[in-house]
Amino acid sequence: MDKVRRSLLIGGASSLAAPILPAFAAPLKYNLKAQRIANNSYVVIGKTEDYSPDNGGDIVNVAFIDTSDGVVLIDTGSSRRYGEALKQLIYATTGKDVIRVYNTHFHPDHCLGNQLFDKKKIAALPKTISGLKASGEDFSSNLYRILGDWMRGTEVIIPEHVINYSSEKFGKHRFEMLPFKGHTDADLAILDHETGVLYAGDICFLDRAATTPHADLESWHKSLKEIKKIPHKIIFPGHGPADTTSRSIEQTDTYLTWLETNLTKSARSGKDMLEAAKMPIPEKFHSIDVIELEIERSVAHLYPGIEEKTLPFLGQGDS
Amino acid sequence: MSKTKTKHKVTKIAQLSSKLSCAALLAIAISATPVTINSISAAESTVAIPKDSLNSVMWDFMAKEHLLTDTSSKKIVMNNSILVHAPKVAEDQLNLPIHVDARSIKNIQKIVVIADLNPIPKVLTYEPRQAEARISFRIKVGQATPVRAAVLDKDGVWHIGGTFVDASGGGCSQPAVAYGNDDWVKRLAEIRGRIWRTPGQKSAKLRFSVRHPMDTGLADGIPAFFIEKLELKGADGKLLGNLYINEPISENPTVTLFPILKEATTSVQITGRDNEGNLIDVAVPAPIQSSALQN
Repeated sequence: MDKVRRSLLIGGASSLAAPILPAFAAPLKYNLKAQRIANNSYVVIGKTEDYSPDNGGDIVNVAFIDTSDGVVLIDTGSSRRYGEALKQLIYATTGKDVIRVYNTHFHPDHCLGNQLFDKKKIAALPKTISGLKASGEDFSSNLYRILGDWMRGTEVIIPEHVINYSSEKFGKHRFEMLPFKGHTDADLAILDHETGVLYAGDICFLDRAATTPHADLESWHKSLKEIKKIPHKIIFPGHGPADTTSRSIEQTDTYLTWLETNLTKSARSGKDMLEAAKMPIPEKFHSIDVIELEIERSVAHLYPGIEEKTLPFLGQGDS
Repeated sequence: MSKTKTKHKVTKIAQLSSKLSCAALLAIAISATPVTINSISAAESTVAIPKDSLNSVMWDFMAKEHLLTDTSSKKIVMNNSILVHAPKVAEDQLNLPIHVDARSIKNIQKIVVIADLNPIPKVLTYEPRQAEARISFRIKVGQATPVRAAVLDKDGVWHIGGTFVDASGGGCSQPAVAYGNDDWVKRLAEIRGRIWRTPGQKSAKLRFSVRHPMDTGLADGIPAFFIEKLELKGADGKLLGNLYINEPISENPTVTLFPILKEATTSVQITGRDNEGNLIDVAVPAPIQSSALQN
């Protein structure tokens, strides 16, 4: 989105908000809390909801590790304002500056808080960088549309530190880079060998429906299979609570399998997209938040491809 | 044609569209000769346009431009028995699923689907003959827009139903995904399809897709290139329906129709062409009775 449109949006929102809706004029504030999940390791757990003006995009998990060299941060949230709140929280908790930031993948909830940090220290996989370059502005303009003033001043910052190595060490913490794919083209998981916490990014979801706008389900299943083999104590998913029982791997895998199986069945029985979205949800998935919404979204992402595989080929042109 | 009438005509046009440039209006005002472009002949129509239940600023213009141009138009009524199903928000602006159900209207001439705020608003015209008056398809949307179905019956009455879809925009001016593949020409007009028959049900379900970029002409340097007409006939040659689709239909159009097939019908023939004259001609086999084995 260009600057003009952005400032118009903000101007429009505030001039409307001030006289008519005084409640709206109250400063928007994220209420971020750090929870300790392991030695020197803190997580900020986002709401398991969709983006809304009520949550301001506080819907994603971020984590930070307090090392003797400085703080290592995993993902930066949905907006500049979120980045600010996060930076304050990190300083209040550790008293240290951030020396390394990872963007696990290119989705906006994971990297639109980048502005608050030194872009030379923001690390990402090559395809995450190219993905954010290609789609960042669209993501940002869409979030301005949905979240309004929460997004004020947010700009897309492209990570400048390319991850082309398998691990790096800060203080006592050795971080292993685990490049996966499936949720997007490049999904970074990070294993902290010091604590055994596996930061899974959006390869794992827990009690929050997995999202599929850039998914390749086959690769995603493969990645889940791989991640299962990696010894760890805790999995910290991209969305949902910290997981000590590997339930997030299981649930994400089962959900995606169920989703694809059902969509394939729907396509084989001749349902259109709107009909396919109305699938009954089994009881084992009742604990998963925003599942109806995500099914509807996933139908939009996946159904055309599934239809192409299931509708019989009849001919080409007039031959 | 008298001078007063011309003057009156011009005022009406000015109300009709503020988008027409002053120069154009002046030119029309000066020339006293009969003018034949669509919007002007439509302005002469005496058919009253009812208030829009979706409060679209474009509604009057849409009615004049796309409905009242049909000379058999006698009346327009809002009719909430015409169902237009769509998601509240377009997740993918290039693939917004729509289902129109106009089975409440008898003796239908045609169904016209319009997305008011699309750069190209007219989506399709469907003339069901031996088919139920319902259809599923997918469209591209340029921004949040009303999507409406206007159903013209044999008495010249337009019945209007619709819904509003929120979208973040851009769908119409994006190049087709196909151009990401080098071999798109080789696969152009590949047709897939199948018919499902349910015992005891009069209508069958026909679902088909045609591989086609459906270019709107709005993406930089890519001219409009789209399928224009598809005709459906039973194996006995009897017309089931005509479908005229326009640029806003999604890439690789995927359509569901509900033809009423005779029990002995073994196939449905789909014939058509795109705006560059590429032909489509394919038979979709109609199973005598759908069974679980075919799933």
